[in-house]
Amino acid sequence: MSLNKINKELYKALEDVLGPENISEDPIVIYGYKFKMAPEFAAIALPKNTKEVQTIVRLCNKYKTKYKAASTSWGAYADPGVLGVLKIDLRRMNRIIEINEKNMYAVVEPYVIYAQLQAEVMKRGMLCNVTGAGSNCSALPLAAHANLGQLSISCSWGERNLLGYEWVTPDGDIVRSGALESLGEYFCGDGPGPSLRGIIRGDQTPMGGLGVYTKAAQKLYPWTGPSVFPGEGVSPHYVSQVPPNFMIRYYHFPSPQLQEDAMMKIAETEIGFLMMGFNITMVTANMATSNREERELTKTWMPQVQGPGCVVVIAGNSAGDFEYKKMVLEKIVEECNGKSLPLVEDPKNAGGFLYRWTRPTSSIRECFRVGGGGMGAGAVSVSADNYPLMHKWVLALAPYKADFIKRGYVYAQSTDPPVMQLMEHGHGGHCEMLITGTVKTPEANKAMMDFMEISKKVAIEGHFGTGYVWGDKDHDLFGPPTSNYHLWLRKVKKTFDPNGLSEANSYISAKE
Amino acid sequence: MIEEKELAKIVGTTNVSREPETLKSYSKDISFVNSVRPECVVRPGNADDIKKIVKLANETRTPLVPVSSGEPHFRGDTIPGTGGAVMVDLSGMKKIIRIDRLNRMVMFEPGVTYGELIPVLAKEGMRFSMPLLPRKTKSVVGSMLEREPVVMPAYHWDISDPLGCVEVVFGTGDTFRTGAAAGPGTIEEQWEAGGAQQEAAGPTQFSLYRVIQGAQGTMGIVTWASAKCELLPRLEEPFLVGSSQLDKIMEMVYWLIRTRMVNECFVLNNTNLATIMANKFPGEYQDIKNSLPPWILFFNIAGYDYFPEKKVSVHIHDMKEIAQRAGLEPVQAIGKVSASELLEAVQRPSEDPYWKLRGKGACEDIFFITINDKLSGLVSAMNNLADAAGYPASEMGIYLQPIVQNANCHLEFNLFYNPEDPAEAGKVRELNTKATKTLMSNGAFFSRPYGENTDTIYSSHASTAAALKRVKAMFDPNNIMNPGKLCF
Amino acid sequence: MPLKDYVRETEICCGCSCCKFIPLEKIKEYKHSYVCPSIAKYNFNTYAAFGRLAFAKNLVDKTLEYSDKVLEVIYNCQMCGACDTSCKYAMDMDVLEPINETRIKCVEDGQTLPVLDKLVASMRKQGTMLPGAKAKRGQWAEGLGVKDITKEKVQVLFHAGCRISYNKDMWKLAQASVKLLKKAGVDVGIAGDNESCCGGRAYQMGYREDFLNQAKKNMEMIKKSGVKTLVTGCADCYNAFKVLYDKFDLKGSLEVLHTTEYFARLIKDGKLKPTKKVALKVTYHDPCRLGRLGESWIHWKGKEIPEPVRLFNPPREFMRGTNGIYEPPRDVLKSIPGLKLVEMDRIKEYAWCCGSGGGVSETNHEFAKWTANERITEAESTGAEAIVTACPWCESIFGDTIKAKGNALKVYDIVEILEKSI
Repeated sequence: MSLNKINKELYKALEDVLGPENISEDPIVIYGYKFKMAPEFAAIALPKNTKEVQTIVRLCNKYKTKYKAASTSWGAYADPGVLGVLKIDLRRMNRIIEINEKNMYAVVEPYVIYAQLQAEVMKRGMLCNVTGAGSNCSALPLAAHANLGQLSISCSWGERNLLGYEWVTPDGDIVRSGALESLGEYFCGDGPGPSLRGIIRGDQTPMGGLGVYTKAAQKLYPWTGPSVFPGEGVSPHYVSQVPPNFMIRYYHFPSPQLQEDAMMKIAETEIGFLMMGFNITMVTANMATSNREERELTKTWMPQVQGPGCVVVIAGNSAGDFEYKKMVLEKIVEECNGKSLPLVEDPKNAGGFLYRWTRPTSSIRECFRVGGGGMGAGAVSVSADNYPLMHKWVLALAPYKADFIKRGYVYAQSTDPPVMQLMEHGHGGHCEMLITGTVKTPEANKAMMDFMEISKKVAIEGHFGTGYVWGDKDHDLFGPPTSNYHLWLRKVKKTFDPNGLSEANSYISAKE
Repeated sequence: MIEEKELAKIVGTTNVSREPETLKSYSKDISFVNSVRPECVVRPGNADDIKKIVKLANETRTPLVPVSSGEPHFRGDTIPGTGGAVMVDLSGMKKIIRIDRLNRMVMFEPGVTYGELIPVLAKEGMRFSMPLLPRKTKSVVGSMLEREPVVMPAYHWDISDPLGCVEVVFGTGDTFRTGAAAGPGTIEEQWEAGGAQQEAAGPTQFSLYRVIQGAQGTMGIVTWASAKCELLPRLEEPFLVGSSQLDKIMEMVYWLIRTRMVNECFVLNNTNLATIMANKFPGEYQDIKNSLPPWILFFNIAGYDYFPEKKVSVHIHDMKEIAQRAGLEPVQAIGKVSASELLEAVQRPSEDPYWKLRGKGACEDIFFITINDKLSGLVSAMNNLADAAGYPASEMGIYLQPIVQNANCHLEFNLFYNPEDPAEAGKVRELNTKATKTLMSNGAFFSRPYGENTDTIYSSHASTAAALKRVKAMFDPNNIMNPGKLCF
Repeated sequence: MPLKDYVRETEICCGCSCCKFIPLEKIKEYKHSYVCPSIAKYNFNTYAAFGRLAFAKNLVDKTLEYSDKVLEVIYNCQMCGACDTSCKYAMDMDVLEPINETRIKCVEDGQTLPVLDKLVASMRKQGTMLPGAKAKRGQWAEGLGVKDITKEKVQVLFHAGCRISYNKDMWKLAQASVKLLKKAGVDVGIAGDNESCCGGRAYQMGYREDFLNQAKKNMEMIKKSGVKTLVTGCADCYNAFKVLYDKFDLKGSLEVLHTTEYFARLIKDGKLKPTKKVALKVTYHDPCRLGRLGESWIHWKGKEIPEPVRLFNPPREFMRGTNGIYEPPRDVLKSIPGLKLVEMDRIKEYAWCCGSGGGVSETNHEFAKWTANERITEAESTGAEAIVTACPWCESIFGDTIKAKGNALKVYDIVEILEKSI
């Protein structure tokens, strides 16, 4: 039986608004959303449009009931932190509203996933940035986390790609940003005057803590590849060819500094279509269709890399443009003593790698398949100032990872940083120190928890930046040395959510 | 009201002025905004001065109006909106604080102008994304905070570019640093670690730089900004394309930006291009204008450190294919204008007199953001409005700047007029008001509301205005920061 | 394996929602990107595999008590296995097995839907779950002169299946199959009135014991007959004999083929020659139990090594839908002169279900029809004149749906088309 319920009158009112088939507090429905150790929701609501979302939010304010909206609910941030919370499942809000080809932007509702959006825009010769975790993520640049990915070097990321949007504030107003309000158009979400984009997200989104985002537009980018994803074969062995004027390589370098130099130069020369600093374990996991296969591939290929590496895809607008980009890339790699990994360069494999990173479906293989569910210590990340600084931070943490491997707390994997990227041809950087596949002993668990705290301490004391920070505890930790931002963020929360009902365990509360 | 002596204690007596002529110069600008005389002008030297001034202003409920550019001013945003205001003139804060070649960043104070910044960056092999021919006295920080469009759309990933982080003293008197500059640690500690205040977003789950931009000083006073730089090209090949058909021009613009082949890229009508290139009016101006087609597209193909000749040659080849498909011809000169002269001109601020004032002495700009589908309709509508108002459309300047990598377009109409001629000035003023309303219903989004049309603009943005008022209440609860502007 | 032993899978599930969609690399456009009819219709996460694995744990530890709603959720699933295939593109875990075990647990706990109890009772009594069966089982074969395997030795047993046997309109499919096999010189026989339900659908509904009883009964008859090969035109029966019987070590060395596999082989060997033109534009629907669920069972007994990487000892291969029967039906269609085959967006291992599996046709015909309607609409979008498939259950629901819609799309079994061409 469910341990908590919402107010009966509220439930009845929600039935009136949504129809009884779109609201449930039945235990089987509740348990179907329960992720790992989180408390259960008290009820689940399925609105179909913004007006219904607004009505739900206003009702929750009337009955002083906490609520939390999510789309695909991948991850603990979709869960409540306390009991008695109404989940607003945006599953029925799953339309692509508009694709504007002339000005290259697309407008979606929250339950459109990136694979769907990318497929539609590819048909039209365009591409969207995709969250690195996977194209199974919501295509709203306001959904979860940062909305950074492998394509961000050329296709930017959520905080920057966002244009117009529609927002149901925590206390039930509807804000239609920018041109949307006056013209019904999504091409600009800034103004008039100051931009509320500054309130609704930062380098990460509020993840349910600041009302509900019901529509958003994002920039699109050029795509010169085929109009349809070309994979042949049967799952999980899809095979693709590298399209004309594209090239994919995994380059490895003798030292972290040379890798950094290469990535910075590739960014600065603006030749990269896709680039991600990946260690070899991420590459083998991407290709492998099972953990066993990944272990075998890693065993074969880990000894063959001279050091940390990155995957690079270049794409030419024309044969000449491709030739130029290739010349530049090869020169840079030569200058930095990089070598190409045959595993990725092999024409039998190259196409598959290219497409699995262009439409990342493989992040699940790279991170979640190993131990399933969580990721051991998870993604420990710092929000970027710049790439070289982020690189320093992950290198500072690498010895801890090495120690864990030595002690048998995690499986043998590369200690090179697994996720490093540059955005917008070098005008931004991001790194993550993932530790996947942990042993579930008390000592290992403690070591992982300690590691999370150590990484935060290193980030603060080393002045590297803020982490993937959410929740009061982390904001209270990072806030004081970081211009006391947490006090302002609390003010934002208090101002827009005076009743404190947009459940904020992954955001910040308005506590004094 | 802050007492003068209190201000003098902070900035020194020479940096506080109540001279009538000085006050007069701040009470009015070229716009049609009502003239309001400030109470005094104070010139802070650093962030600490500013913090103290804001604290005093809060205690005495004195309105503050920040200004960082020198004259002439155009928009009315630096004219006090109410009496008893103190002008906080930051134009003397001219430090270029730090240049970071590795991360392509620069940090500087509000008084730095483009003319001061460009040569310093050039020494490091870098350049700055500029608006079209800013006036010499234009503050770079001011321009970025106003979200002025820049002429290199390929480098305009987001409407906030090239702004990075800022240090701001909010209306509450609190100092805050946005984005990566927030910390952890002081700026110096961040530099020591390798920080460059590059990332504008954050810290964490908000991006306050965006509510400071576009705020016309109503949230706080910026004491420095960091901004993105690009590399200085080794090789440049500029081109002009002329046509009477705007649609064809925009088709070519689409492909040039989509392929990211070009740096500078914008469209002018013949009036504006002639105005920019002419030194003598009306003779030379008319000659140049007569030699030009109605629309002129300007773009520049550049090569950098790696294989610059190869890049330029490949991209010229590809560009010509695009031009051919659009039925256009790229050339190095059209009429009396050469592409290389124009390139040289647009890579620095305008020479004096400011180009918009050369012809008749004054100019009223009507500008907004729109998308490609609506461009022709809007131009047509404005032409009709101008003619109907007795302002010959043929004398109106038009500037089309694709922005946000062509996700949208800045469209600007420049109404040149003689400020000594009340009839002409009145005509322009009325035209501006009427045009704003008409253009709004034809697809114009006025993202940067100034002057008399502000209320009209906000009347169509009720939900945004309501939310912005909540934001204002957080950062300036006593409404001392430039009150009466925007929707506040 | 009982449901309690699948609780581990619920821990492995990372909640990525891939189970709702076709493999993401295969998404060509916005529409036709979903693969799970249950979540597509009912929207609450609990209807997707993501949710089904989550609440399975609660059933095991009894924090979830049975109720009408619980049964409604559990039985509103066609057991099509698409979630399993999509998940296993990236993950090493079972999805369909624990979903099936949930139903088995329901039955063991005495908790199912009355209509299913009735169906299974009929199967126990009459050897078929089709209620109100009036005809005799083997009546469709009258006049064909086919051998009876209980009386004569034959190499190949043609198993007609319940759906065809008890529906006069569908007899032509069995008749055509047998005629074609005989024409190709195959030594084929049938069990006639002695044929009994394969039990596959009962297993899908959770009636494990009843399924096993049927399986044992059938295999006894087959073994006694000396038949080496069983061929059927029903995907459910195919999955039952080939996969489920093998899973429970009942299949032995019996070769199990679908008619399309056999016909493809015969065409390749030149024993069947499609020569007559059939001018028709068709699209092919992959039945779930012939396609992704038609691959052979992988026997494995061992232990999981859960940490630090999920491995197994001995090493374990997961059934990922890779080896389902996708090409033989297409080979048959492509061999027919004049026939144009156009593919839908969701095909092969990520085909959208016809709607009638898992007992849904019987417990919630509206949902079955809704699912079929989605498929019919998808078929129509290809411009095909007909949807061709290889399972009478698919054909039946498609036929009903098209009739209700009143549109022009035709439904054929592959054997009908092939027969026209021979």
